[in-house]
Amino acid sequence: MDLMTVDKLNFFYGRHQALKSVNLPIRKNAITSLIGPSGCGKTTLLRCFNRMHDLYPGNRYEGRISLRDQNILSGDIDLISLRSRLGMVFQKPTPFPMSVFDNIAYGLRLRKVKNKNALAERVEKALKQAALWDEVKDRLGDNAAGLSGGQQQRLVIARTLAVEPEVILFDESTSALDPISTQKIEELMVELKKEVTIVAVTHNMQQAARVSDYTALMYLGELMEYGDTKSIFTRPKHKMTEEYVSGRFG
Amino acid sequence: MRHLKPRKAVNALIMTLATLCAALGLFLLFIILFDVLRNGLKAIDWNLFLRDPAPPTMAGAGGLKSAFLGQGLLTLTAALIGVPIGVLGGTYLAEYGRHKKISRAISILSDIAVSIPSIVIGAFVYAILVNPFGSYNGWAGAVALAVIILPIIIRTTEDMINMVPWALREAAFAMGAPYHRVIWGIVYRSAAGGIFTGVLLAIARIAGETAPLLFTSFNSNFFRLNLSGPVPSLTVSIYQYAASPYENWVSMAWAAAFVVTCFVLFLNIVGRLAIKLRVKG
Ligand SMILES: Nc1ncnc2c1ncn2[C@@H]1O[C@H](COP(=O)(O)OP(=O)(O)OP(=O)(O)O)[C@@H](O)[C@H]1O
Ligand SMILES: [Mg+2]
Repeated sequence: MDLMTVDKLNFFYGRHQALKSVNLPIRKNAITSLIGPSGCGKTTLLRCFNRMHDLYPGNRYEGRISLRDQNILSGDIDLISLRSRLGMVFQKPTPFPMSVFDNIAYGLRLRKVKNKNALAERVEKALKQAALWDEVKDRLGDNAAGLSGGQQQRLVIARTLAVEPEVILFDESTSALDPISTQKIEELMVELKKEVTIVAVTHNMQQAARVSDYTALMYLGELMEYGDTKSIFTRPKHKMTEEYVSGRFG
Repeated sequence: MRHLKPRKAVNALIMTLATLCAALGLFLLFIILFDVLRNGLKAIDWNLFLRDPAPPTMAGAGGLKSAFLGQGLLTLTAALIGVPIGVLGGTYLAEYGRHKKISRAISILSDIAVSIPSIVIGAFVYAILVNPFGSYNGWAGAVALAVIILPIIIRTTEDMINMVPWALREAAFAMGAPYHRVIWGIVYRSAAGGIFTGVLLAIARIAGETAPLLFTSFNSNFFRLNLSGPVPSLTVSIYQYAASPYENWVSMAWAAAFVVTCFVLFLNIVGRLAIKLRVKG
């Protein structure tokens, strides 16, 4: 089933058109990876999903992105509730300047969860889901800046999970991490797709091949090819896709 | 190779001159500090903080209790007026108004305002808050001091907030936080140390001011928790007692000058130390 559909999406940074008539389904409870050479518009597309572009003046969308049949690009969408349905994990870990516990509770408190027991329960659950609980359970009160890079990234994932989003958007979220942390997060993504839908931008072809169910290749703001990961990597329709996934291009 | 020689000579000359000037400046500064230290330490005792001025004929029996309290009240009131306005103003410049031309203009004007002589600010406040009411009053003094710290606090707040990386704000926005929660929970939390340091340094700046008070809250012998009339001021007292012909008043002025100097020095050291620690950590 498609949780989201991108329909003839154009996106403009002021005058510069960064996405050109992109059509793409996002399947529910699956991992879709976005690949393509630098500057092709992967981040731009990902940030359309949670309307991050609205933070800056001059940005403009055309077309449609539906999430459960609701057009999230329409003007009357409440961005605050939209962003609690689609979490985002960035390239560099972004722990907030507060304790581990408060980081995870941040989104819950925004949503007026005040009860102490309820907070503690959901913080624990999120940390367990993000495979971080055992490492931090004795230091929940410590500042999150003291965690390692890989732990910080899992902290951010836990923080996102705590508000029970429908989708999590990853933007090269393992590119700043060591191989072991990367592997942990990849395993985590596969585990998480039981509960959430994942869209992940990556430059790492092995990663895309290993973890994702569907792959979309972008080039110069357009969607070149989309399909299930296996066929994209073994019998792509376009010559360019073949060259890109085998590392001979881009 | 030959043309290098005159350049080297000029270089040496300029360097010698610059070093001499720096040394002269430092030398004068040390003479002043040394003088304050020597005369201040000689004159200081607990009575300075516990008693009010005695008549000039009663040697060594008086103090400047009221003046300390009054100066404290003025500084505190100035901070209560200036800090919230300054922090909110700086927040506007760095957040809500960051793309606006007006913000850039306010920022530049604030930089200029930092170097307006304080006596000019005193005269300005005199014109709007003393003259129309017909008497010196504490509100005018506090406002004058607040006007002095305002641009300092606006600019430090702006700079400190600008140092908070955008990625952090984006992460909070991506959690669905509205802008005011991002500022309150994330930006202020990251910038708090820097803003606090700026406030300390701004208070250090006004703690020793005399000129703006001379025109506004002036001075008085007795402290009352009331800003509608003249308020006793330490710095104005120093100014008046130091110029008096009585020996015990002059020595009281030295003692008070010593205390003010130590206080300002203390605030500055704490402030700079905080900056250093943060840059390291
Ligand atoms: N804020 C912006 N303003 C104007 N143009 C932008 C902005 N951000 C990105 N672009 C342009 O939009 C195009 C797509 O950029 P985008 O960041 O989406 O690429 P990407 O595929 O994520 O690349 P990378 O793999 O390097 O992260 C590029 O041409 C880029 O220069
Ligand atoms: Mg990118």
